[in-house]
Amino acid sequence: MPSDFTRRPSSPGTTRPVSTPTPSSRDAHDWAGDMVAVARLRDRASFMRLYDHFMPRLCLYLRGLGNAEAVAEDLAQEALLRLWQRAAMYDPQQGAVSTWLFRIGRNLHIDRVRREPGWVQVLEEGGPAVDEELARPFSSAEDYAEHAHLQRRIEELPAVQARLMRMSYFEAKSHQDIAEELGMPLGTVKSHLRRAFLRLQGQVRGTS
Amino acid sequence: MNPHHHLDPSTVVSYAAGALAVEVAIVAATHLETCAHCRARVQDAEGIGGQLVEHQQPALPSTGRLADLRASMLDQLDAPLPTTTAPTPRSAPYEDDDRLPAPLHPYFGASYRALKWRWMAPGVHCIRATGTKSGTLLMLKIGPGRSMPVHSHGGTELTQILRGAYHDALGHFAPGDVADLDSDVEHQPVTVPGAACICVSALDAPLRFPGWLARRLQPLFKL
Repeated sequence: MPSDFTRRPSSPGTTRPVSTPTPSSRDAHDWAGDMVAVARLRDRASFMRLYDHFMPRLCLYLRGLGNAEAVAEDLAQEALLRLWQRAAMYDPQQGAVSTWLFRIGRNLHIDRVRREPGWVQVLEEGGPAVDEELARPFSSAEDYAEHAHLQRRIEELPAVQARLMRMSYFEAKSHQDIAEELGMPLGTVKSHLRRAFLRLQGQVRGTS
Repeated sequence: MNPHHHLDPSTVVSYAAGALAVEVAIVAATHLETCAHCRARVQDAEGIGGQLVEHQQPALPSTGRLADLRASMLDQLDAPLPTTTAPTPRSAPYEDDDRLPAPLHPYFGASYRALKWRWMAPGVHCIRATGTKSGTLLMLKIGPGRSMPVHSHGGTELTQILRGAYHDALGHFAPGDVADLDSDVEHQPVTVPGAACICVSALDAPLRFPGWLARRLQPLFKL
């Protein structure tokens, strides 16, 4: 069953529920390659391609976390400036550019807006989050295939799992918040999130 | 250190999403410092976050606003790059006898020796963190060979073992291990003989003690 996971501006009159199924040329763009050009050559054109693609998406994400538009814009600008400044620390084998930016944006929100010291530092952006033996090195072709798989699995999540993932990632709601809001037992919230994660990792197949 | 008890996948997802209550996040971070397995899972969950954010279909800001932001960004690219300090190597938080894991420093200080334990019940001392808004973040020190009252949890209990060890129906928990317990789990930890067990726990709802004895203990715990 397809889930209405991808957020899009409401478009009256259309009933297409999911993100465009065929990857657009943008989806196929080699963002990691642009990062390498930024790191090695300080290439502005590559950076501004990253900027134009990710800036509106980061703003939307940060607004969804409850920030006013001006705050979201400031945080997103800062996140992208860090991308420019710390490009040399980016390691494509440690994850996609989108992963890195997500992490920076989330950490900025937690540090600056929620002011909760102590926990994001454990996974600082660019830091060696994963030990060598656990990292899964990808060639860029494998990396792209992996992303296509992940995107397809996201689109195929059962509706309730998709909804709980959306509340977690886009609204930063805790298990307890979700349980209260949906009138769902806490254990059920956890088991949906658990199953969604295992499914997105490709460890679980099937429809439940 | 090679922990045997890990974070539940639902905790991993919410940690990566920035969606855990802060107390629970602190305990999860304390575990992640020592656990390469769970760090790799969090990185997977952050990859999901990155993918979700990238595949949103944002309404474009007005062209004027976007042009302003773009111009301001281009201006900043001329500034000299800040000297980036290399990320500090991951410390081995359990090797220095006196150093608490880094995520706990803002809430409990950096030194075991400087901790100001308060008596809570026979054989049990605790320290409640200051400065968190809701829920409960506390360190517990339970004497060797002690048995805690049977209890379950209204919400989440996340406990990271720092020193000593205990066992319960779920297994043996030693330093580095985390107990990520569902609300329906009822357990009775018993610490192993020899050394006190020190752990840090986050609760997002009161503990529940069944039985008359435990009900009399509950006011002592004030949880």
